[in-house]
Amino acid sequence: MERREAIRLLATAAILPVFPQKLVTLCRGVHAQLAPSAALRVLNADQDATVTAMAELIIPTTDTPGAKAARVNEFIDLMLAEWYPDEDRARFLAGLADVDARSRVAYGKNFVNCDERDQVAILTALDAEVSRLRESEKPSDLSSKTPPPTPSQKHFFHMLKHLTLIGYFTSEIGTPSEERHQFLDLYRPCAPLHGEPKAS
Amino acid sequence: MPEKIYDAIVVGSGITGGWAAKELTEKGLNTLVLEAGRSITPDVDYIEMVPVWQVRFRGLRDRKRLAEEQPIQRLGGGCDEWANKFFVSDKENPYTTEPDKPFLWIRGRQVGGRSITWGRQSYRLSELDLQANAREGIAVDWPIGYRDLAPWYDYVEDFIGVSGQAEGLAHLPDGKFLPPMPLNCAEELVKQAIARHFPGERLLTIGRAAVLTAKHRGRLACHYCGPCHRGCMTRSYFSSLNATLPAAEATGRLTLRPYSVVQNLIFDAKKRRISGVRIIDGQTLRALEFRAKVVFLCASALESTRILLNSATPEFPNGLANSSGELGRNLMDHTMGGGASGTLLGLEERRAIGNRPNGIYVPRFRNVKSKHSGFLRGYGFQGGAVHTNWRRGIEMSGFGADFKHMLRDPGPWRFTFYGFGECLPRRDNYVEIDKERVDAWGVPVLKIHCSWGENERAMLKDMAITAAEMLAAAGARDIEPFVENNPPGLTIHEMGTARMGNDPKTSVLNGYCQAHDAKNLFVTDGACMTSSGNQNPSLTYMALTSRACYYAVEQMKRGAL
Repeated sequence: MERREAIRLLATAAILPVFPQKLVTLCRGVHAQLAPSAALRVLNADQDATVTAMAELIIPTTDTPGAKAARVNEFIDLMLAEWYPDEDRARFLAGLADVDARSRVAYGKNFVNCDERDQVAILTALDAEVSRLRESEKPSDLSSKTPPPTPSQKHFFHMLKHLTLIGYFTSEIGTPSEERHQFLDLYRPCAPLHGEPKAS
Repeated sequence: MPEKIYDAIVVGSGITGGWAAKELTEKGLNTLVLEAGRSITPDVDYIEMVPVWQVRFRGLRDRKRLAEEQPIQRLGGGCDEWANKFFVSDKENPYTTEPDKPFLWIRGRQVGGRSITWGRQSYRLSELDLQANAREGIAVDWPIGYRDLAPWYDYVEDFIGVSGQAEGLAHLPDGKFLPPMPLNCAEELVKQAIARHFPGERLLTIGRAAVLTAKHRGRLACHYCGPCHRGCMTRSYFSSLNATLPAAEATGRLTLRPYSVVQNLIFDAKKRRISGVRIIDGQTLRALEFRAKVVFLCASALESTRILLNSATPEFPNGLANSSGELGRNLMDHTMGGGASGTLLGLEERRAIGNRPNGIYVPRFRNVKSKHSGFLRGYGFQGGAVHTNWRRGIEMSGFGADFKHMLRDPGPWRFTFYGFGECLPRRDNYVEIDKERVDAWGVPVLKIHCSWGENERAMLKDMAITAAEMLAAAGARDIEPFVENNPPGLTIHEMGTARMGNDPKTSVLNGYCQAHDAKNLFVTDGACMTSSGNQNPSLTYMALTSRACYYAVEQMKRGAL
């Protein structure tokens, strides 16, 4: 045998005596993959301002923080930089430019400089376009686990809303309490909808 | 220095390799386990506690890297942003198929193998399954019956810990269960409806899962975080890494060697025995040989068969221990993905808290009491009820404060029945060595020829119908039946290719998973299966492995091996 370390690996398989709530915290620290970087790589300052404003309108600050506080814009920039194919990134950026074109036609200024009421009107129109496309589509193809995107799903506003919801509801401040219960060490099969469970 | 001769070599450290290691070392054998992949250190490598906001793409997976490195592995559900490290690189581990016959081979090469990421569903085969070939005159008969397996199911369940509910069905025998996990309120509702509408035919029970609901043999009960396939710091689900390998190590007779890619077995034609195992060191690419008195192949069905095919000799030009010509033949995988989903009303004020790593089970009901006209054998349903979450907003109209607050609360209960069906053994579903290609270690790769037959396709369609019937009986709305077009392999229940049988002329292994052509060779993973049943198969592989180990050691004591 050349590698005795093979044996060592199992020696760590000690059994934990109790549910290790503290270990959860420790392990999370060890495995954190990255701190979000402040420098954006795809969006320029103007595009970033438009994305930030639109995301905040989709998920606004209410009794809890909104998309801006969850830094959804940084997540969207990461996705554009590292995840999407080139054609999807180009479609997203073109859609963003189109938002400003619409607001200049309707209100004589770029989206971020419009009143919130006018901004909402633009989002309402975009959301309606996506809804109309969706309603005209056949039911989704259930024969495949990964059907190709439909025209409504390729629409810029669908992309933005999709990314905003993911970016917000998977952020540390936006994850709903029911999904935070990951380590409560309990299972309640039929609890009331509201009311916080207690850790055992 | 004289060459060391181990009592036993086990190839593979996954769900069956771990059992062979445990059984053989506990019975006094100095055992070398050869694992093709790297070491896994649970305290470092388990990542189930990492929340979604700490992974780079928030659970959307590293799309470009997967497309480059794991284009096949990513199609299996578990290959997510946390656990893709427990699946192989498709670049390093190629295989080939015919262009119009896709087969998806989802693999894990590391200490623990796929037992780290398995689905943990644990069901017994029954006499109905083990007699099916004989009754219908298909393939060859199983050389063993339920009576032979039952004590070994007991033995394995007692060690691994299976939570479940006894139901008293002859065709899905009860085991030695830990307390069942509870059904949630929506599942309870569907269970009652099925009991009312399909009495004596169909029933819904909680899944039988190798996840602990009580402290068991030193391992802790489940903490209901959910994603078992990322590891488990409390070792609450069964894997070789969590249970059998530590037991083997405790004997002091285990030598575990990772990075040991088996190239071929060495056959001593005079003594009619396997004399050793030739490996390529995964890191240095040096060839090395190890010797043992007995060899257990536990590398997974297709890897074990690949090793035998790559071990051809002048006497066995078509693969070692292949005098029958059946080696590589009769490849099976369960069909999956006929079913239906529906929305259940009336439970809007209730929710489940915690993530139960288990679902429901509807045992097979086709061709049990009466014969179905459309197909042979049957299927079971898995699935269950979940509250839809904020993701439903992606395909909804709206934005703003009300939209946000609506999405913070769970949406309607959605119930899904997802079928898993038996696959008939067919000689023309087979694997061979592709002489044109080698893997990253220079070992010739498999060419896989596999497609579903008429029986499997008919069963998938029936799943959609019967699932919709049960949802309708429960008063579900928006019922969506579906028939997924999944290629074979994707269920990750690939089995067969070195079947057991009574006759050496038509089978590779005898009823103890022992090669007819080489007495000191055992193949105890899914390769040995004579037919597939419709039940998730790992529990059966574990029972067969422990039974084969007992037999091998008894034979060695008598000097017969």
